[in-house]
Amino acid sequence: MARQLFFDDQQTFLQQLEQLLSDGIPSGQLDVRTPYHLSEIDTLLGQPPSKLPLFALGGALAGFGGGFLLAALTSLDWPVITGGKPIVAVPAFLLIGYLMTILIGSLASFAGFLLLARLPQVDALLEEQDFDSRFIITIADEVAPCTTPN
Amino acid sequence: MQNTSSTEQIEQDVLAAMSRPSRCYLACIFLAGLVFLGGMALWSRQIALGMGVAGISHPVGWGVYITDFVFWVGIAHSGTLISAVLYIFRARFRTSFNRAAEAMTIFALMVAGLFPLIHLGRVWLAYFLFPYPNQRQLWVNFRSPLVWDVFAVSTYMLVSLVFFFVGLVPDLAIVARRRPGFIGKIYRLASLGWVGNSQQWRHYTKLYFFLAAFATPLVASVHSIVSWDFAVSIVPGWHTTIFAPYFVAGAILSGTAMVITLVIPMRRLLRLETYIPISHIESIAKILLLTSLIVGFAYVVEQGLAFYSGNLYEMEQFRFRALGDYRLLFWIMVSCNAILPLTLFVGRLRRNLAYLFILSLLVNVGMWLERFVIVVTSLARDFDPYAWGNYTPSFTEIGITAGSFGLFFLLFLLFIKILPVLSITELKER
Repeated sequence: MARQLFFDDQQTFLQQLEQLLSDGIPSGQLDVRTPYHLSEIDTLLGQPPSKLPLFALGGALAGFGGGFLLAALTSLDWPVITGGKPIVAVPAFLLIGYLMTILIGSLASFAGFLLLARLPQVDALLEEQDFDSRFIITIADEVAPCTTPN
Repeated sequence: MQNTSSTEQIEQDVLAAMSRPSRCYLACIFLAGLVFLGGMALWSRQIALGMGVAGISHPVGWGVYITDFVFWVGIAHSGTLISAVLYIFRARFRTSFNRAAEAMTIFALMVAGLFPLIHLGRVWLAYFLFPYPNQRQLWVNFRSPLVWDVFAVSTYMLVSLVFFFVGLVPDLAIVARRRPGFIGKIYRLASLGWVGNSQQWRHYTKLYFFLAAFATPLVASVHSIVSWDFAVSIVPGWHTTIFAPYFVAGAILSGTAMVITLVIPMRRLLRLETYIPISHIESIAKILLLTSLIVGFAYVVEQGLAFYSGNLYEMEQFRFRALGDYRLLFWIMVSCNAILPLTLFVGRLRRNLAYLFILSLLVNVGMWLERFVIVVTSLARDFDPYAWGNYTPSFTEIGITAGSFGLFFLLFLLFIKILPVLSITELKER
C-alpha cells in the first residue's frame, strides 16, 4: 500500500524528499507531484535529460526538408516560368522551408511531449485524480497508513 | 514559491473571473454578437451579389479588406512577443499578460484569416490557395508572396494554438479540481489527465521552452512576409526594403496597444489588481513607447528614401500621402502612432491607466489608418496619371470591418468566462 506525504511548503518538501532518498528509498519507488516545476527534483531523483530536443530537432529538419522539397518538386512537376524567376527559385523556396521548420518542429515537439509525459493519462482521467495545489510524495509498496499532514 | 494558503488564494481569485456572468457582461456579449452578425449578413450579401457591393475597383483593387487583414495579423503579434520572447528573456511582468495576449493572438489570427477569404469573392474556391494533388495537375506558385503569406499565417495560427494550449494544460487541471460535476469532467478531459508529476513537469518545461524558441522568429518573420505582399511589387510607396522591419515594429505597436485596451478594463472588472500591478502595465507601456519610436523613425526614413531617391513616382507618392486626398488620414496616423505615444516619456502618464487606455485606443485607430494609407494611396496614384483614382469604402466593407471587431471582442469575452485569464501555475511559481 502506498504512503502519501503532503506538504504546503516547498522547502520542507524538498528536505523530506532528500531525506527519503538518503534513507535508501529508491527513486523509482517515489512518485512526486508538485503544483509547479522544481528543477531540484530532477537532480534529486537523478532523472536523465529529457529526450524532447530530439523530437524538436527531428521535426525541424523534416519540416525544412519537406517544405523546400514540396516547393521544388511541385514547381518541377509543372514548370511554368513566373516573374522571370528560375523554376527552382531557391530564396523563395527557402522561405517555405523555414516556415515548415517552425511548424513541423513545434508539432513534433508537442507530439514528443505527449509521448514522453504519457499524456493523455487515462488512469488519471478515469480515476479523476486531481492536480493538487500541494507538494506530494507517494512512496510505493509500503504497508503504512495513508496521509501524513505536514 | 508560496505556501498553500496563498496558492489557494491565487486559484480562487483567478477562477472567480469565471463565475456567473453579470448583466453588463451579457450586454457586452449581445452587442459584440450583434455587430458580428451584422458583418456576417453583409458578407453573405456580398457572396450572393458579387464583389460589386464592395468599393474596390480599378485602380484600387486592394482596399479595406486587405487593410483589415494586415491590421489583424499585426494585432496578433504582441501575443507572441509577450508569451514567447518575454519568456525567453525571463521578464517577470509577462505573467500578468501572457494568457490574455496569447488568446488575443489566436482570435486576431482567426479574424485576420477571414479577410483573404472575404476579399477572394468566390470564397468557395479558397482551398485553391493550398498545395494539394488535384485533378487539374496544378500547384500553387511558391514564388508568389501571397502563397508565402498562406504558409506564414497558417504556421503562425497552428504554433500559437499549440503554445496557448500547452500553457493552459496545468490550469485546466486546476479548474477541473475546483469545478464539480460534468463541467469539471470536460476540463479534466481537456487537461489530458494532468497530475503534475515530476515526469510531466520535466518534459513540460522543455516543451514550453522549445515552443517559445520556435515562436520567437515568427514575431519577426510573419509580418515581414505580410509586408512582402507589398514590397515585392513595383508599386511606388510599396517597393521599399524597409517594409519588413517597419511592419514588424508597427505590428508590435498595434498588438501592444490592443493588449492594453483589453487588459485595463479586464483587470478592473475581474478585480485582478493584485496580479496585474500598475508597474507591469508600465512595462508594457514602455514597449509601446519603444515600438512607437521605431514606427516614427520608419515614417521619416520612408519619406527620406522617397525624396533622396530622386525617383519621380516615389516622390509624387509620398507627396500625395502627406498632402493629397488622403492627407487627413495620414496626419491622424502620424499623430496617433508617432506623436501622442511620445507622452509616455512622462512616468506619471505611463502609470495613469485611464490615459493609457485612451492612448491605446488612439494607437489602434492610428495603426488601422496606417494600413489603409499604405494599401490605398499607393494604388490610387501609381505610374500612369491616366489610371489614377480614389477609393472610398462601401457600406458593405465598413460593416464587415465592424463585424470583424465584433467577432474579436465576442471571442475575447467568451474566453474570459471559459478559461483562466491569468496563468495560475506561473503566478504560483512567481
